[in-house]
Amino acid sequence: MRTFLAIAVLGGGVAHATVGSALRIADVAPDIPLIVVVLLALRRGPEFGCGAGFVAGLLQDAATGGLLGVQALTKAVVGFAIGMIGGRLRVSQPLVQIPGLVLLSVLEGLARFGLLQLFHFPAPFGELMTYVVLPQALYNGFLGAALVLALAWAETVKGRTP
Amino acid sequence: MRIRALALLGIIAGVCLVLLTLQMRGRAGLASEALAVVTTPVQTVLARINRATLGVWGTYRDWKNVRADNRRLRDEAQRLRVEALRVTETDAENQRLRRLLALKESLPLETMAGEIIAREWGGWVRSLTVNRGRGDSVVRLTAVIAPEGLVGRIIDVRAGSSIVQVLTDPASNVGAHVVRSRTPGIVEGEPRGTLRFKYMARDGGGLRVGDMVVTSGLGGLFPGGIPIGRIRTIDDRGAALFSYAQVTPAVDFARIDEVLLLMGGAVRDVAASFKGDG
Repeated sequence: MRTFLAIAVLGGGVAHATVGSALRIADVAPDIPLIVVVLLALRRGPEFGCGAGFVAGLLQDAATGGLLGVQALTKAVVGFAIGMIGGRLRVSQPLVQIPGLVLLSVLEGLARFGLLQLFHFPAPFGELMTYVVLPQALYNGFLGAALVLALAWAETVKGRTP
Repeated sequence: MRIRALALLGIIAGVCLVLLTLQMRGRAGLASEALAVVTTPVQTVLARINRATLGVWGTYRDWKNVRADNRRLRDEAQRLRVEALRVTETDAENQRLRRLLALKESLPLETMAGEIIAREWGGWVRSLTVNRGRGDSVVRLTAVIAPEGLVGRIIDVRAGSSIVQVLTDPASNVGAHVVRSRTPGIVEGEPRGTLRFKYMARDGGGLRVGDMVVTSGLGGLFPGGIPIGRIRTIDDRGAALFSYAQVTPAVDFARIDEVLLLMGGAVRDVAASFKGDG
């Protein structure tokens, strides 16, 4: 299980820059590490979510050549927050998963933008939201829901196997 | 538990902010390099896997595209074949109509073009239905011709169509003569769909295979000189009163699509309007 978690966190962070392009639709790629962090935080709580978010985000920062620490911080916050409130959410329904992930992605984008503003990030907010954050948030929502369903199906199959 | 998580978040936030600040001051090279030691090999491996997977995927997509292209090109070829057939058909129709028009213009009679819309080809009756009827002033016994020769006569006129009794109909008979020898006789239809030329034996000495038989113009129904067909075989019955000759019709009744109806005017010899038939 630990190996799986390590692969999920580390692989998710690094794979995003390498494999993520293959999942591109109309120039929009999903934020795979964010989805992985959310899924892990829901299952393992705020502490693990926070740590996983930090590691995945840091690797993502390093892999993509961005400012080290930006995504590490935002994803750590997301992992922590989801780990904290996850128990109170009915996340087994796709009708909750999709809007939930969309909202989370938007919040993470806003947080990232806010953080980058401290370091004089030049991109205009409107364009960033329209062309980057919102499309990616939608993509995350659907992909995340599909992953949740796939995981649930895999667990059901595993449970049936004697 | 919650305090531990909050403490972890605080530490992480602190580390991140320190990292960001160091980077803004140009001192984060070491951290980046340390992380690159971990990320670069993983990225290399993943990139190779990704490339291989994409290669397989690309091959599959190419294969699918080739299949789609193949299907598209087959459809295109089929469409073009149909188009070519249509063009050929239009060309043939064009030629037929030109010949019909040429005949119409050369005839010293009032004519009306008609289109064949049905055929009755059983042995009992051999007829064509033409899309001209009472509304077009067609009357019974109107002669029907084609650029090749005589087709038959109208035997039934309806509101929008007429029935043409074809020469090969068993009930059909037309006064005719052989062009070369002027031998008079009657062309009759036969149940098997052939034509025979019935003539007085005493007049038939000079008939030859290949002779052209045309309408005689006697009886006032058909103008004289309209080609009927050519003598194929001669059945000489010796001392019998009548002799017979099989005639190959000038018109292919099974393939004819357009005809001319001779609507009126003085009945006269129209042989000159049928070129090369004599």
